[in-house]
Amino acid sequence: MAITLKDLLDAGAERLSLELVWGEEYLDRQIEEKAINRPGLALTGFFQYFAHRRLQVFGLAEFTYLKSLEAKEREVSLRALMEKNVPGIIIARNRNPLPELRALAEEYKIPLLRTTMITSHLINESTVLIEELTAPRGRIAGTMLDIMGIGVLLQGRAGIGKSETALSLIERGYSLVSDDVTEVVKNSRGRVMASANNLTRYHMEIRGVGIIHVPSLFGMGAIRRETELDIVIDFHPYVNDADEDRTGIFPAEIDVLGVKFPYYMLPVSPGRDMANLVETTALNHKLKMLGHDAAKELDEKVIGSFLRKSGR
Amino acid sequence: MAKLETIVREFEVENKYGIHARPAALLVKIAGKFSCDILIGKKGYEVSAKSIMGLLTIEGHQGAKLHVHAVGADAEEAMAEIAELFANKFFEE
Repeated sequence: MAITLKDLLDAGAERLSLELVWGEEYLDRQIEEKAINRPGLALTGFFQYFAHRRLQVFGLAEFTYLKSLEAKEREVSLRALMEKNVPGIIIARNRNPLPELRALAEEYKIPLLRTTMITSHLINESTVLIEELTAPRGRIAGTMLDIMGIGVLLQGRAGIGKSETALSLIERGYSLVSDDVTEVVKNSRGRVMASANNLTRYHMEIRGVGIIHVPSLFGMGAIRRETELDIVIDFHPYVNDADEDRTGIFPAEIDVLGVKFPYYMLPVSPGRDMANLVETTALNHKLKMLGHDAAKELDEKVIGSFLRKSGR
Repeated sequence: MAKLETIVREFEVENKYGIHARPAALLVKIAGKFSCDILIGKKGYEVSAKSIMGLLTIEGHQGAKLHVHAVGADAEEAMAEIAELFANKFFEE
């Protein structure tokens, strides 16, 4: 996903203390390569491997070098850089742009941004920010909970009892991340992080009760802003010939933003305590992650016993 | 097996406060009467019309254009009732 300078400026106004010096009309320019470049070598005239698709940062080194040049050379050096049509230029350490830099930026219609940060901090922070802004994201139907550090997404058709189950789990001390609509983002480590829609965050709708605000009723411990997705649980009406895994040895998988997650299908019927079942599924998943797979262990025990008795 | 009907229509939100809690509840009530799946939202982002929390996230402000997809045996009847709701501005100003 490509981002524009405007996206960066909006997101980075606070985090990168970014401000616009010039070029409001050209903020729709795209940052094609999601990284930051220090154009030191390019300023000296060496353009092999020059990363012209990246944002360019002018820090102390660049400024000192430019100032060491005669006015004419400075203009030539900067013009050569601008001709590469870089997406934008950020000036670090809150410096004033050199007059030539400003004039050429206007000539080539390349926006100039400025920050109070020092260059190394700016590079670190902006790399993280650009990574976040360009991360694959989506919204999926389902209620997200954090059960003892395990991120559980509850899915199932409307009215099957996802929110009611979530409420029971909150009462047992677990935390709500989002109700019914969950936003997912794949971070740079390939993990899928789940959070709520900004507008409806921490609210739930419970049939017959209405809309509730979870932290007001159950306290701050009942909510979490974000959690990593670990498993997906699907509630479906109980049918006898459902295609569910009765042993737990062969769990199904589901794809979220290109990542595979264990997918447990839980049948719903009167008398089945869904909160308890979700809690057990989550804890059993945690146990599996620690290397204990109860289903496989029992199966091995059974097979071992049979092999001894078969006498071969 | 009943034939699977798919109906798609676009509506514009006309009431001043958009699809806030009360209109969302009206929509959910109507959608819930039918067995068909009903999705509503904007391009690239749709939610089930049977979820109040979902409906509040689609940003259905005044002037917003929303797609409605209805898939199922009673899709036509469902769409007719939803169309009426939009036409009546959710019985608001």
